[in-house]
Amino acid sequence: MVGLAATFGSGAMTNSINDFDEADLFLVTGSNTTEQHPLIGSRIINAKQRGAQLLIIDPRDIPLAKFADLHLRHNIGTDVAVLNGMMNVIIEEGLYDKEFVATRTENFEQLKEVVSKYPPKTVEKISGIAAADLKKAARMYAKADKAMIAYAMGITQHTTGVDNVKSCANLAMLTGHLGRAAVGVNPLRGQNNVQGACDMGGLPNVYSSYQPVIDAAVKKKFEDAWKVEGLDDKPGLTITDMMDAAQKGELKALYIMGENPLMSDPNTTHIEQSLSNLDFLVIQDIFLSETAKKADVVLPAASFAEKEGTYTNTERKAQLAYQAVSPPGQARPDWQIICAVSKLAGYPMDYASPADIMKEINSLSPSYGGITYERLSNNTGLQWPCPNVEHPGTAFLHKDKFSKGLGTFMPCEFKPPAEMPDDEYDFMLTTGRVYYQFHTGTMTRRVNILEREAPEALLEINPDDAKKLGIRNKEKVEVSSRRGSVQLKAEVTERVPPKVVFSTFHFNEACINLLTNSAFDPVAKIPEYKSCAVKIRRCA
Amino acid sequence: MKTLAKKDINKILGIWAQKHALLAPAKMDNGDCIFGAFNEKTFTLDYKKPPLSPKSFFFPQAEVIFRVENNKYNEVVAAKKGLIFGLRSCDMMGIRQSSSFMFRDNEDIYYKAKQSSAAMVVMACPHAQNETCFCTTTLSGPVAKKGFDLQLYDTGDVFLVEVGSPRGEELLVGIPLAEMEESKAKQKIDEFIKKARQSIPEVKLVASAMEKLKDKKVAEKVWDDFGAKCITCGGCAFVCPTCTCFNVYDHQYSPGNGLRLRAWDACLYGGFTREASGHNPRASQALRLKRRHEHKLLDYNSTDIQDGLCGCVGCGRCSDYCPVHIGTLEVVKAIAG
Amino acid sequence: MKRTRSVCPFCGCGCSFYILSEGDRVVGIEPSPENPVNKGMLCVKGWNAHEFIHSPERLTKPLIRKKGELVEASWEEALKLVAEKLLGIKEKFGPRALAFLCSAKVSNEENFLFMKLARAAFKTNNVDHCARL
Repeated sequence: MVGLAATFGSGAMTNSINDFDEADLFLVTGSNTTEQHPLIGSRIINAKQRGAQLLIIDPRDIPLAKFADLHLRHNIGTDVAVLNGMMNVIIEEGLYDKEFVATRTENFEQLKEVVSKYPPKTVEKISGIAAADLKKAARMYAKADKAMIAYAMGITQHTTGVDNVKSCANLAMLTGHLGRAAVGVNPLRGQNNVQGACDMGGLPNVYSSYQPVIDAAVKKKFEDAWKVEGLDDKPGLTITDMMDAAQKGELKALYIMGENPLMSDPNTTHIEQSLSNLDFLVIQDIFLSETAKKADVVLPAASFAEKEGTYTNTERKAQLAYQAVSPPGQARPDWQIICAVSKLAGYPMDYASPADIMKEINSLSPSYGGITYERLSNNTGLQWPCPNVEHPGTAFLHKDKFSKGLGTFMPCEFKPPAEMPDDEYDFMLTTGRVYYQFHTGTMTRRVNILEREAPEALLEINPDDAKKLGIRNKEKVEVSSRRGSVQLKAEVTERVPPKVVFSTFHFNEACINLLTNSAFDPVAKIPEYKSCAVKIRRCA
Repeated sequence: MKTLAKKDINKILGIWAQKHALLAPAKMDNGDCIFGAFNEKTFTLDYKKPPLSPKSFFFPQAEVIFRVENNKYNEVVAAKKGLIFGLRSCDMMGIRQSSSFMFRDNEDIYYKAKQSSAAMVVMACPHAQNETCFCTTTLSGPVAKKGFDLQLYDTGDVFLVEVGSPRGEELLVGIPLAEMEESKAKQKIDEFIKKARQSIPEVKLVASAMEKLKDKKVAEKVWDDFGAKCITCGGCAFVCPTCTCFNVYDHQYSPGNGLRLRAWDACLYGGFTREASGHNPRASQALRLKRRHEHKLLDYNSTDIQDGLCGCVGCGRCSDYCPVHIGTLEVVKAIAG
Repeated sequence: MKRTRSVCPFCGCGCSFYILSEGDRVVGIEPSPENPVNKGMLCVKGWNAHEFIHSPERLTKPLIRKKGELVEASWEEALKLVAEKLLGIKEKFGPRALAFLCSAKVSNEENFLFMKLARAAFKTNNVDHCARL
């Protein structure tokens, strides 16, 4: 998000899900689309059948790779080098969109200078991608008329996550694959309201619609609307910083709504220490999650089916969900709980309904100005920016100009992952999800069919490595990093390349985040889930 | 033959709704057509087949079959006097085939309670609803042959009313009706069917696909290609009017308190056939798709087929709602081609 | 049977479906046929999104830690404790000693209110969510 915001001025999916039906070429990188965004992945499969091209850059042999015209299995964490290499070829061979670069962008010379250091032969050494394949990929992407980039956490969850995103944006600007239908840079959001949580100002530096907390006019606007004085005008702590502050004793209380950081955050031991160090931990959730078990107070919330509200999907589209059934027992909708706490804390917030809250969002958040309940009740959703009630919503961004005016090339140099394999920790661990489970499993592990299909954590390991270590399929192994160790069954599969293992964070019986590295991207503060060094041994 | 004036339809449904839990097609404010509790404001005669077939009324996706409260066992056999208005003939055949399966051998009391207490009013199809309709091939349309209480033929201003059962006769009591001379009515119906058939052409490939399956002449590559695409959503089984597989599980709330549920399951899911040892006789998605289509097109129980062609009723939902186009029509084409 | 329009609670695609219910019991899921995202389709998680709602493990009462154990409490007691503790810590250590984590799984309205709670009621910008994770 930070990467896209820096280059284009807006950090969301530039295009729409329906655009996937029109694109000529897909560059899918760091996204196991068919398993993690199945209704987008299926569109790519269908597009292949109608003759679109598919270019995949992913170390793993994901299911979508069966359909790829070209699959580059680069070394983990070498994304910047690969993307720079493609740009090197595109500039070298004059395949870039000269008009777009001249009229819509700035800083091209600097990009040229940086990517000139990444000729295919050099990239081959870093990434393991053959120079000929890299050239082929560059030509495919540059020559396609409507080429879409789709990426997910495989791009962002690195210490160089922001650089990776910027490099994707550079590539799209260089080739003019932006500002039209069926092109663009499209980060696929992993949860049903990640986009909305960001849009609503669930971030330390901005209010809703990304209005900066440091902006005096914005501060004044919110103070007036909220009838308060002295709103904090300095950015707050990110989740990563919060955990560190808790460890140091600077953060005393944490109130968590609907999240399970003990399972989802890297380096579980560190998180556990941070949480135990707090004076007061409040968890508001629908289940007694691993994190809730550590809480001082647990507040029972209503699930999505038991309340009304809007959710904003990965293509910036807000949709309305109504209440179907009552919450169980005494559970209450989150908004009611928040109002009750606020009232007791001496700041009464009176809302009759979520629609009432939306009216305040409309008035304070420019991009949501026209997203009203009245409109959402009789349509299939509205895509922001949607500044007023006459506005139809925005299917794709940056049409004639970027949100910030000219798009800025932000060239990046390749930096290796924070922790590389060595003699002792000789494997690279990368993490993700499986199709049948979701996130920390609090919901999906309570669905019989899903649990039947994927009941336990598995460690994917390449057959060559398994043979060397004497590990047979479904045999229990111990995998350890410098931070912890976990026992789980091995799945011997070609899906992972040699010296790379893969597992998921759904299962509390084998909490993979005990191993992961909390080293994070210096700007976006996204931890490096996608690589850390581990060693593996067969359990006796 | 009896007729109903189209302009009276809302009034008639209102009368029926007084004595029945009435389900009727509705057009929602976001453009969706679905079957829901009758509501004058959302009711529509201009509707398409919704994703779920009417099996969901008799055999809900997730159904409590018994509860245990303070160690006391209470069977839940819920049934209301229902009426489903506007069924299509393909779905009527789906109900007949599913009911045959559910009623024979070990009678399914939960299904039967709901199915037998629901009156069914079929709306004969004047034309294909979309390009995936192929009921004329599966011998299940454009009009229903049996099973309904009433069948209506839309002839413009009036519906011709075909009565299929004593319960159908009862439904007509107290309803404003007119008469049309039998010979004229028969002629109208013949014309109706002829026109409908023209818009739903027979898919000749179905017969040749069935033949090839029977002779085991289908190349494995057909299934491998489909298997590679399938995203294992299970939707084809869930939207299918004749798929009746379910899984059973328990929810315990406290010692002595809980309930047993059954919920739709799908043969496309790997765990459906995985044995306790871990061995799976249908180990790949290709094999699972093969098994599904063999069952529908080749191995469906001969009693359950009724007077249809096979275990597929030609509604086309699996083609409409498969994210990667692996519906029966696409499969038939691949097999026959 | 009641049909209620909703949005799938899992990934970011934003598939729309109807929740089918009888009384307070969810009995099924029907995808929205006209929604441009999913057009009447769902993935395995969406089709099976009905079950966890009625899980016996759902939280139904507030819990408060007493003598090291989480025990059931009234809403009144739990809410009072939350407000008092947060105010007390703010008083003693300043607003920056408090932090609030929003959720990628609750509604826009709730995320907005939660950040308003942090910023207006407790005067801290220590607000974040788990999307960077």
